Amino acid sequence: MRSTFVRPSSWKGWLVLVAFISVIVAGIWPVIGWVNQAVLVLGLPKLLVWSYLVLLCCSLVMWLGNVLIGAGNDD
Amino acid sequence: MTSSLPLWITVGYIAIAMTIGLAARGRRSMNSLEEWGVAGRSMGPVTLYLLIAAGSVSAYTFMGAPGWAWAKGVPVLYVVIYLGYLALVAWYFGPRVWAFGARFGHVTQASAIADRYQSPALGALAALVMSVGSIAYAVLQTVGSAYILLVMSGGAIPVWAGVLLVLGAISVYLYVSGQRAIGRTNVFQGILMFAVAWIIGLWAAHGATGEWGFVEVFRQVQQNNPEFLTLPGGGGDMSFAFWTTSIIVSMLSFMPPVWTQWMSATSARTIRLSATALPTYYLVILPMIVVGFIGIYSLPDLERADTVVLEYAMANLPVVLVGLLGAGTLAASMSSSEPFIHSVALSWSRDVLQPGFKLSDERAGRMARWLIFPIMAFIIAPLAIAEPGNLVMILLIGLGFASQVLPAFIGMFFWPGATAKGVFAGIVSGFVVTVALITIWPHPLGIHGGFWGLMLNLPVFVIVSRLTSPAPAEVVERFFRIAAPWHHSFKTDEVSAVARPGQ
Repeated sequence: MRSTFVRPSSWKGWLVLVAFISVIVAGIWPVIGWVNQAVLVLGLPKLLVWSYLVLLCCSLVMWLGNVLIGAGNDD
Repeated sequence: MTSSLPLWITVGYIAIAMTIGLAARGRRSMNSLEEWGVAGRSMGPVTLYLLIAAGSVSAYTFMGAPGWAWAKGVPVLYVVIYLGYLALVAWYFGPRVWAFGARFGHVTQASAIADRYQSPALGALAALVMSVGSIAYAVLQTVGSAYILLVMSGGAIPVWAGVLLVLGAISVYLYVSGQRAIGRTNVFQGILMFAVAWIIGLWAAHGATGEWGFVEVFRQVQQNNPEFLTLPGGGGDMSFAFWTTSIIVSMLSFMPPVWTQWMSATSARTIRLSATALPTYYLVILPMIVVGFIGIYSLPDLERADTVVLEYAMANLPVVLVGLLGAGTLAASMSSSEPFIHSVALSWSRDVLQPGFKLSDERAGRMARWLIFPIMAFIIAPLAIAEPGNLVMILLIGLGFASQVLPAFIGMFFWPGATAKGVFAGIVSGFVVTVALITIWPHPLGIHGGFWGLMLNLPVFVIVSRLTSPAPAEVVERFFRIAAPWHHSFKTDEVSAVARPGQ
């Protein structure tokens, strides 16, 4: 058994990993700095809309993971 | 407020929650850790969705979050983001934790740690120190519950009586039905909270602006207080660094009740499906935040920020909605405190007393049920009634520890070379730094104290693991056949050789 850190074993696993990391990056600095403006989007603060978009993307990447590697499988 | 209707609605909620909690047992025997602790691993995707959702939405949603919106503005949204990330954590780790439990018989987080590192002492340490944060959290939620009853009764139910009433209700159905009670009551509480939050939010917005929406509320904030719409917020204290590190530290804090919730699922697939839908529930926070923004203009002189929704409702909303708000807030605090009380009893019995006194599984199961009474009577109730000034500090220290247990999980899911001594060294060094940088020199350079702790913790963990002996190779393989089945070639002596260079 290898003692290295666990990594995905397939392109599907890597794709899901990249999607997860992208969503996490979207909610923190520096990305959060780019949407940090006192403007309204659809009548709501831009940061609020962005936060809920990040939340929606969390669901989407998990759905992607379910589709690509199966809701009950590992990778 | 002179009507007694809000009080009756709130007390009615407690009666319904008790009925549901007691009925959850059915005809099952609850004298095993498997049944009382993790509901016989029987929860389907909908129940699990609401169990996790309601458990993670505490009284903070109805009191703290609107208070932050009132005092600071959009910085409150870091909570929304990290709750979404906790769903990602559940999606990845939940199925693996469930499989560990199903195959190895774990019912607690600490028992998994003890098994992976073949160290009951490390498991007991994790159980005891995690319980500091868990108890402090349960106490804070109980204080919130008693405060709601105090307000709804117009002072007729003093804090001590409210504490006893709420804990009495929880203890009865927790004893009788265990995790099944938490599951069923959280379903009810989760639906109630979501409905109440949106009704109150829309009603408040309509009352304040004449619109059944939030646009005019924010237009007013943009015109008069635009600093509330950006970081660092109205208080000027949520820098990008603190926002980012708070989210990361919160996301990496694996609290014990969450593990118990994952282990209660019917299958790994159930967890994945529930986690995928979980972010949708956090729409519950939006209307409460809006009421906080409304309070900036309608209640500018509040003494306590976290009372903004309650004060606004009592001044402006019909008594029925005030009662529903009381019930919703009480549901939020009870649904969050009961999993923590349950997990402390479970872990003390399974991870501290059972190995310490060589108890049988059945004896440990019975003891876990009975332990909830002394935990509530001698720890949670006195602390909630006394409300010690350093309670929040205890909670912060407890949560600081939770984030520092990360190496134990890295060794369980990502790195076969992790050792018990490495984990112990990482946890201790990270914990010392975290406590110092939360309590003595809070958050240097605007970076969360827990993040500083991790920056020392992780290198220490890796270095000490490289220099010390790992658990037997067959144990590591047993875990990694589940955690990362594609990662092994299962040559059992290779782990030892790589983890102990020079030997």
